[in-house]
Amino acid sequence: MFDDFLSDDDAMLEKNLASVQLGTPDRQQHGDPLRTFKVTQADHDPVLLLRTFYQRLFPYKTFYSWLNYSNAEPTKTFTHREFSFTLANDIYIRFQSFNDLPAFKKEIERLQPVKMDLGAIYTIRPKERKTVNEKAFRPLEKEFVLDIDMTDYDEIRTCCTGGDICHKCWTFMTLAIKVIDACLRDDFGFQHILWVYSGRRGVHCWVSDERARQMDNESRKAVIGYMEVIKGGAEVQRKVKLMKILHPSLERSYKTIEPYFESLILDQQGVLDTKEEWTKMVSILSDANIRDQLNNEWSNNPSLSGAEKWDQLVQAVHQSRNEFDSITRDIQLQYLYPRLDSNVSTNINHLLKSPFCVHPKTQRVCVPIDPENCDNFDPLAVPTLMTLNDELNKLAMGTSDSERKIPDYKKTSLKPYIDIFENFVNGLLKETQRAKRDQPDHSW
Amino acid sequence: MFKSKKSRTNRFAAVANQHVSVGRDSMLDSEYPFRLNMYLDPPTDEITIEEFEIFALDRLQVLKAIESAKLRNLNDEQFKKDVQYAVDKYLPMHSNTAFDLISERRKDHISHFVLRLAYCRSDESREWFLRQEAALFKYRLLEENVKDRSAFLESAKLDWHVVTAEQKQAIQNQLERCVPLKIKHNVKEYVEQQTYFEVPFEKVPSLVRQRAIYLHQGKAYVPMEHQTSLVMEEFTSRLESMLVATAKALPRLEEDDRLKPILLNVEKQYVGKVYGAEQVVDGDLTAANVDGAVEQHAPLCMRTLHDALVQDKHLKHSGRMQFGLFLKAIGLSVDQALLYWRMAFSKKTDDEFQKNYAYNIRHNYGLEGRRVSYGAYSCSKIIKGDAPSAGDHHGCPFRHFSSGNLEARLYKDKLLPNQVRDIMNLIQGSHYQLACTKYFEFTHPGHDRIDTIQHPNAYYELSVASAAETEQGEPMDVER
Repeated sequence: MFDDFLSDDDAMLEKNLASVQLGTPDRQQHGDPLRTFKVTQADHDPVLLLRTFYQRLFPYKTFYSWLNYSNAEPTKTFTHREFSFTLANDIYIRFQSFNDLPAFKKEIERLQPVKMDLGAIYTIRPKERKTVNEKAFRPLEKEFVLDIDMTDYDEIRTCCTGGDICHKCWTFMTLAIKVIDACLRDDFGFQHILWVYSGRRGVHCWVSDERARQMDNESRKAVIGYMEVIKGGAEVQRKVKLMKILHPSLERSYKTIEPYFESLILDQQGVLDTKEEWTKMVSILSDANIRDQLNNEWSNNPSLSGAEKWDQLVQAVHQSRNEFDSITRDIQLQYLYPRLDSNVSTNINHLLKSPFCVHPKTQRVCVPIDPENCDNFDPLAVPTLMTLNDELNKLAMGTSDSERKIPDYKKTSLKPYIDIFENFVNGLLKETQRAKRDQPDHSW
Repeated sequence: MFKSKKSRTNRFAAVANQHVSVGRDSMLDSEYPFRLNMYLDPPTDEITIEEFEIFALDRLQVLKAIESAKLRNLNDEQFKKDVQYAVDKYLPMHSNTAFDLISERRKDHISHFVLRLAYCRSDESREWFLRQEAALFKYRLLEENVKDRSAFLESAKLDWHVVTAEQKQAIQNQLERCVPLKIKHNVKEYVEQQTYFEVPFEKVPSLVRQRAIYLHQGKAYVPMEHQTSLVMEEFTSRLESMLVATAKALPRLEEDDRLKPILLNVEKQYVGKVYGAEQVVDGDLTAANVDGAVEQHAPLCMRTLHDALVQDKHLKHSGRMQFGLFLKAIGLSVDQALLYWRMAFSKKTDDEFQKNYAYNIRHNYGLEGRRVSYGAYSCSKIIKGDAPSAGDHHGCPFRHFSSGNLEARLYKDKLLPNQVRDIMNLIQGSHYQLACTKYFEFTHPGHDRIDTIQHPNAYYELSVASAAETEQGEPMDVER
């Protein structure tokens, strides 16, 4: 039976494996906590650690309540949802579905997936899709999702590249969360938003409002298009071209990010410190005279600080008749505004990695981030399987009855993250209950 | 729902004639007060079988004229002229009461619904019908005078909430920021004078995507200026859901034997041909002939895939699907296909080929799995579908190639600079199929003004036909 499965999905296998982010190889860095995980002791065998994680730490009940949008009987949002799993030997299986929480838990513990993705809610239980006509199996709804990946910032960050991150460049993510979160809430009125650390170098966002789940592809495309500001591939220098007067949403976003320009971009990233780096910014300007002027000025005065150089740039633009003043604002946006992968967001049936997976390269758990507190989130302090295992071992053997009732994950460093998750889900449950009570009043 | 008709004298006409001197105006007011129609309710009176067919075919002429005018990228004036000509000839809609307005509007109403029956069945025909009806509606909306248009829209109960003066004042600044570019001065007055509608953002996706309007808590604030956009969105989304509903109800309707042949005939008029969905492909194309046939007659998208296949001795999944189904539709049988792909994937061992590729080829011919023989991809599917990424060669070159690469390819295919420019201009305006059509015209001299390419296999067939005619020395039937 498994064979039949695989061969039918054979055609999809290649395509899906390509879309499964297995990441770029890590660069070796001294004492870099994100270095590829090495097995040192039998006790720290990643396979065993993962099993322990799924047996004792994964928050099944809350997870179920989220996807089920109720903590009671299973509903369609759970039973008709697609799950996909990447197993230890790179086998990838799609269109899994489960009738209830026990079935889900049993399968996870059996498979111990290296990665789990969440998909859309379909008209038919995905596992049973072959029992119906192809046209009858369609996606109905799914959370609106976003994926922000640090590699999209490689052209502007100077501290790391590829899969590496550090505290300096993580600020880009913090900014992205602030800007996007405000946009989703203020502009679109969404309320139930879950931000999740992707485990290595980015963040995911799950907008779970019913209204968001029911958006068609056209609306999803509209939302992501509304938020997109940075456009253009490798051959385009100037990627932000906005009007003199900013749209209210962009005005708000600009006010959020502008204060970080000097500290993050000029100081920490030092984008004007070396000729190689400042050329990237200078080439955004179209006036060749200014470009030459700045190049010379900065080459001849290496002691100028980043802030001083920037002031000179702003002055030069202001005096020039060939450049609008707004280009300096656009440059700031190009360096600070969130970079989004629209493909992930526009299609209702796009799969995205689930929260509370464990990243295979870093062994870190994909934990939720509280947007209100995202300034204090430290990706390098997120618990790894190893630390969690150590914590579990240290838990006293002879615990009292009351302590035994508390689930294990609440006694480890995973607790604060699970709390964020529970708050999010509780908010959702309250909303669903309220909606059921007052008859659906869709008077948006 | 649409009731069946009896083939005797039109009772309605008899009745209408009776009332002609007395209540004509009132009937007009109650039944069809406006030229415009949202087609929300189906006609309930009786009509003859002849009317059923004739009305439908006449309307179809208008829709095809619209499609044609749109796709030929005519300027506004020429567009109006062409469309108006078709409308006057087949589906006149006057506002002057000197004409028989009731009959005109009734014909409009009935013909729309008959075509709905004919075109609701497949995704493609629905899409086509929706596009042309929307274009016709937009044309008529814009032609209407302001007074009648507003009156119509009010009656259509489009349930848009108008922003009150107080509400507007509270968000004056934000609205001013969103004023269209062309209003350079007096932004404040513009905002004060415009009527703004507050609508859920899902109703105006294109305006949201472009950040053209102010958005707050999920509500979009749309100036009257964009009213056409709003109306069109409403019209299109309603018609879309009604078409789907009609498709579901269709099996019951087809019980009427008299209607079925008419509907089938109407449907056949549309060039929405599905290529290659037959189970048994009875073609005489052999594996050995494929290369020549493709190089000579296939459209650019398929030749790109073919080139990649020859060069890399491999194609990724999406490419295999797009190209493989195309080949099936031009007459490659499953056995010849297996042979062709086996030879093309020369670097693979027999075992690898059997294991990884043979199954899928057979699957495409409906010999495995669900046993569905897949049709070849149409242009709209290729253009809108799965965009190619690194290592992919599928898709539509006019859509998915970078302009530099496309130009290079056009020059390589021996197009002249002004021809390349024509095509690139079309690309700028996102007219990918038009570009392909032009490409056909440039590469098949002596056969100009073909219908716009809707399907790669249509391109192939046209190319084969034109080659055959060139041999025979007869000019193709060209529209002047």
